[in-house]
Amino acid sequence: MNDVPGIWTHARLLLRKDLMTEWRTKERLSPMVFFVLLVLLVYNFAFELGGAALWEIGPGVLWSSFVFASLFGLQRTFAAESTNDCLDALLAAPVERGALYLAKMMGNVLFLVGVQLLTLPLFGLFFNLTPGLYLLPLLVVFLLGSASVASIGTLFAAMASHSRLREFLLPLLVLPVLIPALISCVAATGFILAAGIPGRAVQFWPEELTLHVGMLALFAVVFSTLAWMLFDFVIEE
Amino acid sequence: MQLCVDNVHKRFGSTVALAGVDLDVGADTHLLLAGANGAGKTTLLRLLAGLTGPSDGRVTIGGEDPRRSTQQRWRLGLLSHQTLLYDDLSAAENLRFFAGLYGLGADIVGPALADVDLTDQAAARVGGFSRGMKQRLALARATLHAPEVLLLDEPFTGLDRRSAGTLSTRLLMRTREAGVSSLLVTHNVVEAAQFVNRVVVLRGGRIVCDEPWNTDDGERLQALCDHHQELAVHE
Repeated sequence: MNDVPGIWTHARLLLRKDLMTEWRTKERLSPMVFFVLLVLLVYNFAFELGGAALWEIGPGVLWSSFVFASLFGLQRTFAAESTNDCLDALLAAPVERGALYLAKMMGNVLFLVGVQLLTLPLFGLFFNLTPGLYLLPLLVVFLLGSASVASIGTLFAAMASHSRLREFLLPLLVLPVLIPALISCVAATGFILAAGIPGRAVQFWPEELTLHVGMLALFAVVFSTLAWMLFDFVIEE
Repeated sequence: MQLCVDNVHKRFGSTVALAGVDLDVGADTHLLLAGANGAGKTTLLRLLAGLTGPSDGRVTIGGEDPRRSTQQRWRLGLLSHQTLLYDDLSAAENLRFFAGLYGLGADIVGPALADVDLTDQAAARVGGFSRGMKQRLALARATLHAPEVLLLDEPFTGLDRRSAGTLSTRLLMRTREAGVSSLLVTHNVVEAAQFVNRVVVLRGGRIVCDEPWNTDDGERLQALCDHHQELAVHE
């Protein structure tokens, strides 16, 4: 008998398989990107954003579109494993259940950050956002925000995958738990965008940002640890 | 390697799938799990594969719970009526992926495909395969790591006579390897006679027959299974 590979090796293999499948099918990224673009377009016409209103409403516009787009992606987290009962093959293999959680969570983070990076330029275009280095901290907020969404979303996606009401159940489970993280995401994004207000001294890392970034990091760490511990019980029949 | 099922009960809500099953399976045992639909055969197999846990009782493989032991799960190979393959990956990619999960190198993929006559389909996506090709690839996937125990859940479902015959031959070769045990769930009891040396019949979630079997006489085996199922009709 060979040595059983470790949890990180398994997670890497599973993630690679998911990324390869997504590259071929574009089943998750495409609807997520199109949804965000549609929402940005609708908000652009609804509010005629630009100028000062952008700093007040823009973060909410951005994160509401990201969160609802993420639900599309989360719904598809275990879709490949549902087809042909591939999940049975993974559960019967010498793979720790935690490796499956890690792989799916990392995949969800990558897809979410990908969508955010793809749609941010269009957000800037629609709402006259001045590009500059002051936007770099947004990468940190996107990463931690996506990790927060993915940490809890992956667990609930596994729960919902066993249910016939999965499309209805997943948003119902995910959104209430995400509220604290969403508040921090919106607030942090607001502080970053506000640094671009014309005439205002540009701050690379506004002071107020530290608290919200810390909250997001804590949320991601706590909920991913909790989800990893509970995943064994959720994924089995 | 010893598989033990110790007074196992399994309930799904109010439905009782298994009601106090005791079973021990040692090395070189090739066991037919027979019974009518809903008797609990697949549930028992899924418990042994570590896909689910008992409501009461214990299931162990090599003395450990298969749900918690990656070492024990390494020794199992699962072949089902579903292919357990990814349609969007090629045949070679599927095998390479599963080989990696078992700690095996990619060099094992070529010989595995050759074993099931799918070398020329290595780069083709599994989604475009026929049912027979998929089951042959599924057999390759299930036996890549030379498992000590093969769990076979209705592997002949949906196959025509020729494909079923091909799969039978390959399964026979695998199961006759020294030290390999197998548990076969199938409604094709006549074909199963050539594979098995022990018969277990389930009825209503309980074992009603557990006998050795040492002949290829499929008709006799069918009669034995029918006898125990007819007892249920008359009770």
